[in-house]
Amino acid sequence: MYPWTSPSYVPSIPNPQKSTSPNGFDDQDKLLSEAVAKVRSQAFQMKRFLDKNRLMDALKCANPMLSELRTSLLSPKSYYELYMAITDELCHLELYLNDEFQKGRKVADLYEVVQNAGNIVPRLYLLITVGIVYIKSNPSLKRSILKDLVEMCRGVQHPLRGLFLRNYLLQLTRNLLPDALTPTIEAEGNVYDAIDFVLMNFAEMNKLWVRMQHQGHSSEKSRREQEREELKILVGTNLVRLSQLESASFETYQRLILPGILEQVVSCRDAIAQEYLMECIIQVFPDEFHLQTLDPFLKSCAQLQPGVNVKNIIISLIDRLTAYHQRNGKLVVTHSSEDGSHEIPDIQLFDIFSIQIAHIVQARNDMPLEDTISLQVALVSLAQKVYPERLDYIDKVLETTEIILDRLNMMKISHNLPVNHELCRLLRLCVDFYNNILTLIQLNHFAPLMEKLDYISRKSLALYVLMNVFENETLIPTADEVDSVLTMVMPLIRDEDAMESNSGEQQTVPSNRSAQDVDPEDFAEEQGIVARFVHFLKAEDPDMQYKILQTARKHFGSGGTERIKHILPPLVFAAYQLVYKYKSISEEDENWDKKCQKIVQFCHSTISALAKADLPEIALRLYLQGALVIGKVDYSNHETVAYDFMTQAFSLYEDEMSDSKSQLAAIILIMSTFEQMTCFGEENAEPLRTNCALAASKLLKKPDQCRGVVSCASLFWSGKKDGEEMRDEKRTLECLKKGVRIASQCLDTGVQVQLYVELLNHYLFYFERGNSLITVAMLNQLIAKINEELPNLEQSEETKQIGVHYRNTMSHIKSRMESNDAGLEISFAGITLSS
Amino acid sequence: MATRKKSLLKVIILGDSSVGKTSLMNQYVNKRFSTQYKATIGADFLTKEVVVDDRVVTMQIWDTAGQERFQSLGVAFYRGADCCVLVYDVTAPNSFKNLDSWRDEFLIQAGPRDPEHFPFVVLGNKVDLENRQVSTRRAQQWAQSKNDIPYYETSAKEGRNVEQAFQTIAKNALAQEAEVELYNEFPDKIRVQSDGNRNGNSDNCQC
Repeated sequence: MYPWTSPSYVPSIPNPQKSTSPNGFDDQDKLLSEAVAKVRSQAFQMKRFLDKNRLMDALKCANPMLSELRTSLLSPKSYYELYMAITDELCHLELYLNDEFQKGRKVADLYEVVQNAGNIVPRLYLLITVGIVYIKSNPSLKRSILKDLVEMCRGVQHPLRGLFLRNYLLQLTRNLLPDALTPTIEAEGNVYDAIDFVLMNFAEMNKLWVRMQHQGHSSEKSRREQEREELKILVGTNLVRLSQLESASFETYQRLILPGILEQVVSCRDAIAQEYLMECIIQVFPDEFHLQTLDPFLKSCAQLQPGVNVKNIIISLIDRLTAYHQRNGKLVVTHSSEDGSHEIPDIQLFDIFSIQIAHIVQARNDMPLEDTISLQVALVSLAQKVYPERLDYIDKVLETTEIILDRLNMMKISHNLPVNHELCRLLRLCVDFYNNILTLIQLNHFAPLMEKLDYISRKSLALYVLMNVFENETLIPTADEVDSVLTMVMPLIRDEDAMESNSGEQQTVPSNRSAQDVDPEDFAEEQGIVARFVHFLKAEDPDMQYKILQTARKHFGSGGTERIKHILPPLVFAAYQLVYKYKSISEEDENWDKKCQKIVQFCHSTISALAKADLPEIALRLYLQGALVIGKVDYSNHETVAYDFMTQAFSLYEDEMSDSKSQLAAIILIMSTFEQMTCFGEENAEPLRTNCALAASKLLKKPDQCRGVVSCASLFWSGKKDGEEMRDEKRTLECLKKGVRIASQCLDTGVQVQLYVELLNHYLFYFERGNSLITVAMLNQLIAKINEELPNLEQSEETKQIGVHYRNTMSHIKSRMESNDAGLEISFAGITLSS
Repeated sequence: MATRKKSLLKVIILGDSSVGKTSLMNQYVNKRFSTQYKATIGADFLTKEVVVDDRVVTMQIWDTAGQERFQSLGVAFYRGADCCVLVYDVTAPNSFKNLDSWRDEFLIQAGPRDPEHFPFVVLGNKVDLENRQVSTRRAQQWAQSKNDIPYYETSAKEGRNVEQAFQTIAKNALAQEAEVELYNEFPDKIRVQSDGNRNGNSDNCQC
């Protein structure tokens, strides 16, 4: 937007130094500075003569100065610099003449005198300068002189020179153009004369500018187009002039100015000119005018040359009008005319653009498809900004887009295509604008349009939608909506192949992009997002929540092992929460009991699906979690069901866990779950307890056995019997003793000492809690063993850690011995502290 | 050299698009204001005669496009400027932040003889609006930090401070022009030769 942010911006060096650019810039600089030097010296002379009131001599100097503008060697930019230098000097002449004329010194034939200049370029510059002075001193000459000047300029047909000459004419006539409907003196002309004058100048300049395209060798086409690009501003200045006419009302604009410009633009049949001038119209005339002339303007757009980027023109117009709407908050145009001001009611911006864009798309079948889609993007952005409430407008655009793509039989639009890019932009615009997925699913054509994209794009768009849900914390409150939403994000839930077979169109060509090709980390992250999304499927009403879970389950079920691993666990947790919820409203809902049973069944089957998919570790943990939940919610039969959940966990442990590490982890989890549960009668508790003990003692590796057996001690201590802690001192101690025995069988002394330190901690735990069978002697015995073995261990990181653990344990004992806390029931006296 | 009776001052107005450059100029020169927004493309000027210290000078005020895409021919019109007016919109903080860039851009492109002391004037426009975002203090501090540029808060709509601001502009431009003329007017050196013949001529004796 700013000169210095443009990529092509190079600050030019003010006092021309030699650049080493290959494109003859060296020459340009040299030629320019030579020309400017000549101008300076002539101008100096000219001003000296003016100071001495020697006008004729001054004009004689002005002539060679102006002749510099006859050059053909300069590029447009250099020529512009030269032009600026010269017109700066001409100002002095103009000022002098003005002064003289004001003083009443008439040089009546000056207008004729300057026409004696030998060459046409200097002659016309002088003629314009003098003509302006004439007009200023005698306004009644205005109309005829203006007409004369704009005609005379036809004499220069060299494009570059002609363009600058006419620019000079435009510059000097600024603020002199007749700008009244009915002038006091008729010969001054009225605003219509001004319009004629500028329109004629505009037409001539545009012709010169267009002609450049067709002069010179074809190999220099791109340079020529570059030069035209630079010169466009001169042509556009005519439109600026027209927009500056104060007394040209909207009516005049509509009737004369706009048709005059458009006619020239359309008939010149030059793509560069058309694109620029249309943009120019948009920029220089006020919004109020555009709002009421959309139809003719847009109709002209349809008639432009094939090479014209109509899309940009329309987007530019839409942008401008939306900005206007946002500034003013309305599209009402207030009109002041002779019979007072009246308001024109709201202009149906969307309808007009919608219809005209459809025309343009139809008329210009050469337009790239991505441009067609870009226009729809612009339309959506217009509708959203101006009519934020009108969801139907958006849906209409999406529908149109869908029809366009259908007509071309576009399916699975590849993410490499520009069309895909535009289509994604269109869809994301909707996501970003509403920030509510529930609104998106109200758009009938959003999801179908998404399906036009290839799998990759659909997936990334689906992720985009979900991230938007997270940001806005949108909850999906009904089963139907969950169904629509999950259908929309299907690419995240199923493989591409699965999606196709589902839609009934069997594809014979194997897809080259299945879940296996995807980077596993990316895949895990993506599924993590879906898992997170499960927590947003939430209804206030528990019955609805249950329906939601069932719907989600149906969608997630066919995602394959890799997906359900991530997606089903949160679903099960959501179901467990629902069980608690029913429990909390058991007073209000008499059917809560049955509903809990159903939900637990739902969980059971979901977990068993995970188990069947060869995911025993996850399934085992979910069963245990379930057992805990069920244990706490005393619906009928809950003990049996909890027992079932425990046994399911057990059988997974027995049948599916093969490596010792996961076995140990699993059995400890089973034991600690069981330890907490209070719902079992002894009839169910006893076999579970025994099985735990048995399983622990049957672990393969001695250290595992040792740890398992020691953990078992808690079942006999704090584990429940008929709802109360067991506190079975004897069996607790037996477990500990068994642990010591197993540890003593370890051959690796390092591991052995580690186990002893752990055992010491367990002994201390129960000792402190008042197991009277544990004696100080037992503790001393363990301490002695550790003291004996620890110093012999080889130095290593593990040994160091064992040492630290041990020292911490001993300082704990010490602090207990020194404690004066009267609350302590157990005496620590007699424990050997130092080795 | 002999000074002509009239001076011509060239003033360039710069700033982001839609800060009100054209409106300020129109208010000053034509005493008119329109709420209709028309983008300026390219650059062109209006002239106005002003009296500064009892001298009548003609001020040529160049209104420019705030958007680069509308300056396809470059900014040759910066050359020979006598004063540069930097405009921002007090309700648009970005237009204020960009003043630095506009100033630097001008100094690079116009290449004045003494960039340190080239006269600038800063105008904070649209003070008639309610949602002001740039405080007077902040703008003043900035102007002070740049060699004490004069700062005015204006409203092109209500004409507030416009006349005063342009008076300062004209005054500072005139001071600048006087300085430049001292250096710049003579295209060639004037050689003062010691001519033997003439020296010998007693008629030319100064005594």
